[in-house]
Amino acid sequence: MAINILRCVGGIVVLLWLSGCVSAPQSDALLTHFSQETGANPSVTLAARVQLEQVPFFPQEDFQCGPAALATVLQASKVDILPDALVSQVYVPSRQGSLQVEMLAAARRYGRISQILAPDLEGLLEQVQAGKPVLVMQNLGLSWYPQWHYAVVVGFDLPRGEIVLRSGLVRDYRISLTLFERTWQRAEHWAVVLLAPGELPTDEREHAYFQSVSAFAAAASEGSDAIQLAYDAGLARWPGSINLGMARANLFYTQGDLNSAISGYEEIIRLAPDYAAGHNNLAQSLFDMNRLDEAKQHAQTAVNIGGSFSEDYRKTLDSINSALQR
Amino acid sequence: MKLNSYLRKIVSTALLAAFSLVCIQMPAMADIVSTDQIATEQRNEIQRDAVRGFLDRADVQAQLEARGVDAADALKRVDSLTATELASLSEQIDTLPAGEGALGFVIGLIVIFMLLDIAGVTDVFPAI
Repeated sequence: MAINILRCVGGIVVLLWLSGCVSAPQSDALLTHFSQETGANPSVTLAARVQLEQVPFFPQEDFQCGPAALATVLQASKVDILPDALVSQVYVPSRQGSLQVEMLAAARRYGRISQILAPDLEGLLEQVQAGKPVLVMQNLGLSWYPQWHYAVVVGFDLPRGEIVLRSGLVRDYRISLTLFERTWQRAEHWAVVLLAPGELPTDEREHAYFQSVSAFAAAASEGSDAIQLAYDAGLARWPGSINLGMARANLFYTQGDLNSAISGYEEIIRLAPDYAAGHNNLAQSLFDMNRLDEAKQHAQTAVNIGGSFSEDYRKTLDSINSALQR
Repeated sequence: MKLNSYLRKIVSTALLAAFSLVCIQMPAMADIVSTDQIATEQRNEIQRDAVRGFLDRADVQAQLEARGVDAADALKRVDSLTATELASLSEQIDTLPAGEGALGFVIGLIVIFMLLDIAGVTDVFPAI
């Protein structure tokens, strides 16, 4: 009898411990708030139901959920591509799966900016509501026995507490938000939207957009027009962004458009007079136009301010000085 | 045969001379700070903030103190972590599941970075 009670208590303890491990705090908060319908939290602006019917579906074969999910979001972003064409780019046979970095890189090759979202369920659903299917990674197994899977979020139904995915062999795969959150959480909340150049995410994080766009620019599969479009859209949204401003001026500089580069850098140091890299790049552009005296001033300012790139600033100043002595 | 090896010597010497000339003549090229550099810098800064935020947590500070590490010291030294160390630490913090064991592991990493410094293996925390 006593042993039975002990077993029973032990079982409950184990169950409690397990449920503690698999909590879904974001879904809980979201659904609690929605069921109350108080409107007390103005950050929740989600509709009750959203379904992106027009997003295509590619039933996956075997382990190739990566190519299938990527083709789904690429097609939804008006890139005409089928999963088979992506297999060689993202599928690693020895791992029977696709690596996240390769998924991001492949999207860039097709002229799309891949932006990683914040680990925030509400933010993810906001993207869907704005018409963007979201590529997600899930761990369908357990943390110590992982079953990695890629799927695409195409809708949600808050009154029923459900999320809708294009997943595996099911076109509209409906699972509870909490189950989705647990599987998504075990894949480190990995979620990605694809942006055509000029398109913006609903995500408010300027630094995340800058990171995505600079990776897109570095991939260099696109012409500079597409890159400039992406910078312009970002600057329209975040007019004071030093990083985006620098990126655009740098693009002008590498294109040899020194006048545009100079006015870009001048705008930056007007916004942020203590930004050394801005002074350095302005100095270099003035130097290239043989406006040595002005160049020297800004190079000296950059050296005085210093920072992570102080060696570069020193080099700029040195070469301007040696040109002045000639 | 002999001529051939003689020729080879001349050619290789000439090539060597040409290359070293190129090396000498190349001044340290001044250039703009590239967008890539700016993006990397920003990434480092975000990770540094994540590590700082982690060290700011009361439970983390308690664990550090339990291992004989002054939390304020650890916080000060975040600035001198290299990009690689930052990336590995912030990744560990990001993927930290709830639970004592995992927290202990990351704190162990931080302490190891500090101990290796004292031992003279690494030079992450020059102030020690």
